[in-house]
Amino acid sequence: MKRNRLVVTSVASTITLTMALAACSSSDSDDTADGSASSGASSTPEAADITLWLAGGDTPDELRDYLKTEFAKENPGSTLTIEQQEWPDLVTSLTTALPDANNTPDVVEVGNTQSPTFTTVGAFRDLTPLYDELGGDKLLQSFVDVGKVGDKNYALPYYFGSRYMFYRADIWKKAGLTAPKTLAEFGDDVKKLKTDKQSGFAIGGQDWRNGISWIFANGGDLAKQDGDQWVSTLSDPKSVKGLEQWQDVYEGASNAPATGKDLAYWDFLNDGVDGEAPEAATIMAPGWARWSIGDMTKGDDGKEVRDGMADDSKFDIFGLPGVDGGLAPVFAGGSNIAVSAKSQHPELAENLLKIVFSPEYQQMLGKNGLGPANTDYVSSLGDDKFAKTTIDTAKVSKLTPAAPGWASVEGANVLEELFQKIAEGGDVTQLAKTYDAKITPMLNGK
Amino acid sequence: MSAAPLAPARPAVTSGTTPAGPRRPRVRAGRVAGNVVAVVVALCWVFPVYWMINSSFTPDARLGARTPSFFPTHGTTANYRDAVDGSGFWSALQMSLAITLVTVVAVLAFAFLAALAISRFRFRGRRSFVVAVLFIQMLPAEGLFIAQYKMLSAADLLNSVVGVSVLYTAAIVPFTVWMLRGFVAGIPAELEEAAMVDGLSRTGAFLRITFPLLAPGLVASGVYAFLQAWNEFTVALVALPAEGSQTLPLWLRGFLNASVNEGVNWAQVMAASTLIALPVMIFFLLVQNRMTGGLVSGAVKG
Amino acid sequence: MTTTATGGPGAAPVEAAGAPPPPVRRRRRPRTPYLLLVPAVAVLLLGLGYPVYWQVVTSMQEFGLAQQFGTAPPEFVGLANYVEIFTSDVVWVVVARSVAFCLVNAFLAVGIGTLLALLMKGVGTAPRLALQVALLLAWAMPMVAAVTVWKWLFDWRQGVVNWLLVQIGLGSFENHNWLAQPLSFFFVATVIVTWMSVPFVALSVYAALTQVSDEVLEAAALDGASGAKRFFYIILPIVRPVVSIVLLLQIIWDLRVFAQIRLLQDAGAPVSETNLLGNFIYELGIGRQDFAGAAAVSLFVLALTIVLSWPYVRTLLKEDES
Repeated sequence: MKRNRLVVTSVASTITLTMALAACSSSDSDDTADGSASSGASSTPEAADITLWLAGGDTPDELRDYLKTEFAKENPGSTLTIEQQEWPDLVTSLTTALPDANNTPDVVEVGNTQSPTFTTVGAFRDLTPLYDELGGDKLLQSFVDVGKVGDKNYALPYYFGSRYMFYRADIWKKAGLTAPKTLAEFGDDVKKLKTDKQSGFAIGGQDWRNGISWIFANGGDLAKQDGDQWVSTLSDPKSVKGLEQWQDVYEGASNAPATGKDLAYWDFLNDGVDGEAPEAATIMAPGWARWSIGDMTKGDDGKEVRDGMADDSKFDIFGLPGVDGGLAPVFAGGSNIAVSAKSQHPELAENLLKIVFSPEYQQMLGKNGLGPANTDYVSSLGDDKFAKTTIDTAKVSKLTPAAPGWASVEGANVLEELFQKIAEGGDVTQLAKTYDAKITPMLNGK
Repeated sequence: MSAAPLAPARPAVTSGTTPAGPRRPRVRAGRVAGNVVAVVVALCWVFPVYWMINSSFTPDARLGARTPSFFPTHGTTANYRDAVDGSGFWSALQMSLAITLVTVVAVLAFAFLAALAISRFRFRGRRSFVVAVLFIQMLPAEGLFIAQYKMLSAADLLNSVVGVSVLYTAAIVPFTVWMLRGFVAGIPAELEEAAMVDGLSRTGAFLRITFPLLAPGLVASGVYAFLQAWNEFTVALVALPAEGSQTLPLWLRGFLNASVNEGVNWAQVMAASTLIALPVMIFFLLVQNRMTGGLVSGAVKG
Repeated sequence: MTTTATGGPGAAPVEAAGAPPPPVRRRRRPRTPYLLLVPAVAVLLLGLGYPVYWQVVTSMQEFGLAQQFGTAPPEFVGLANYVEIFTSDVVWVVVARSVAFCLVNAFLAVGIGTLLALLMKGVGTAPRLALQVALLLAWAMPMVAAVTVWKWLFDWRQGVVNWLLVQIGLGSFENHNWLAQPLSFFFVATVIVTWMSVPFVALSVYAALTQVSDEVLEAAALDGASGAKRFFYIILPIVRPVVSIVLLLQIIWDLRVFAQIRLLQDAGAPVSETNLLGNFIYELGIGRQDFAGAAAVSLFVLALTIVLSWPYVRTLLKEDES
């Protein structure tokens, strides 16, 4: 769909048409929100075509169609256009399009950790008045927090995924080991499983999104807010303890390189295509990794695929255990959703949010394997072990700091560097101090 | 070839290949060794291309294998099917073709006229133009995207073929001017004049005499422009935000998505890449002879 | 078009004093060349005018995401951004690295390309065609695909390169990670960049070589000129203009290498030790949203390239005038 004059004129004519028919109002709008754009006396927004930007292909077609039909039904005369943006370049596209009132998408999906980049510069509309109506405290709080500036909500959770441990049950069993109960036990176990040809736990040195779980588990954090300033807290004793524990696990259990990052870990866990032994006994990966793990089989269309861990005496999962049992907080993948501050149709945009946060849509997310934003509906993910582990780990998930300069830290690969140096055997206390000094000014946007 | 009549006067404009001279036994041994080396180098150079094609016929689940498999023994065309069925291939193909076509034509026309000016005339500002055109290429493009977007948005040219083509043309014209300059200079104006004496109009003389001699140069520049416009990514990303107006490189980018619910399917990426490369490869092989001729004379200024 | 030029505003007489020797052809009037330049100049102004203007202005401002979103006005800071560049040791390290990488790659590509061109000239039709087609295919491959494939070939775990090295008895290359050390990272990057740029060089130089007359070469050989002599006295003078322009272009292009490095870094590499200028600008602009800094570095790179290539450009221009 190109935005061209034709669309504009047809939109214009529909506007006049609905103005004429303005009698029937589908009034579900108790939000007079900012009042900035509420035109005239009528509470029914002018009909228009609004645009939703979705990132990547995660939202299945079925859900997109539902949004479109539902939106058109509830907002007579208005239509919804959905456009897909790709993850790797989302920030670039948002940076150029969001400030452009004429071309801005009205509603956007944004990576959870990308949210602060935009919330802190006023790119999004204040959704605080709608917060309770859209789910309030039932929404996944780590995602809500990352979309907040002060006590105002600018971006809300859209869906979440989680990460947990996938392991070779057969190998663990042969070594006389069972799923560990504490983080220390996990470390000991995977170290025992390491050989020259096999990582007990395969993790690349630069893979900080996995590695920060050890900081979180030990009660540490990446940064904290001190007044209106953000301070990097890597050299906090708890953080240091976590980093040292991670260093110990990496050195003792992983054969993956210290510069390794976002490796295809699932390949490590599988038997080779010619029956070679697996290269790892344990990996940590997002939930979808399941579909790349298992024995080779033929799919419906005759294509060779992995069977999705059908043989559970061979493949199994567990959540990363906490220091004193329970679960360690992991970094959760997923995204937030927000309304562009420059949107010309904020009421319509908010109406779309109401559909997104409706029980029907939330459950549709769950049925398609996407963690629903509203925790009331997580049961829709199913009740097998994968769904359960996803839900349990997501509940204790943590995200990166909601600091204005967080994107800079990621953009400059600072944490990759830190974790690589730790993996190479560097002095953690010293490194933590150095990187605190480096990160703190970046967090505050300079 | 076409430039044959000029050859004695100006060897620099000859195009095509010169037939090899008579063989002498002395060189034969060297030649055999040379042939072997040439074939080996050719194999080395083509290997990554082969690897792309090989992977594109391999099921994704097998790409992670420890031991490389050199032949698609488990060959499947499913990757291609999925890539094309997936989303937007045909519309991206159309968009890419349209943009590339407009860009190539505009680049050739504009650069040709400019080349004519700087190689046939001496005028004030000529030198500055030549230097400026060279230096423009040195500006890093990574910092321009915000301004490019603002400009297109203000002109209401986002998501349009025209907008991107203007940016591409501006980026490609400088090099092409340099390339064509040599060609035009290589064709003596006397030739044209002689034709006019023989009763042809200026336009006629140009069309019948000069233009054919320029063909290799135009082909070479055209190929260069084609490749640039066909593979460009950053400008397209910024200037074509709407899903339906994506070009092929943007479409390819869509396959490089690892996210909450799926990993990257590398076999599909390779299939998609092969699909993008295919038109270029065919085009290259078709114009191959002319192009080698063209590249020569362009660089060797007459 | 051939009517007498009345000399529009600014259209001074062509043959000003001190200008290069008057052209041979006088029949056209001075207005024509300007008219011919109009489309090219127009499209350059249209496509690059505003972006370059924006870049210059922004480089002298404080301009980040807040300014882009209009929540804070862009503040004029004069040359502060440039001062920051000149006083930052990071920038100079990146500059040194980029220049070294650029020179090594440009000369390698031109060197190998020229050798391959000579090879093509010296071999039979079939091997020559094979080589030509191979080069063309490599040239046509989309960059993302090319880098991805090369990444696989050099992959520490399942890469063909390591596999081959192990097969020939170099067991220490099992799981060898080529991207971990800056030096071997740049070795891989150089292989990729050279692989991608050689086709253009080789085909250009080969085309030039086809103009070297075989008769002349044979006559020289009969007169007892050695291979080296024939190369330096007959072949080189003819291909030299091609080689020098190609070399200049390679230097310009290689100083701007960006995406190849970026894609390689994604596979896990010491990023800050492997950044080149393009990556540095990208990191500042897109990664850290410091658009002013990115603009300043861009213009600085432009100036640097001009300075570096100036002597060379002058020689080219002199040849051009003659």
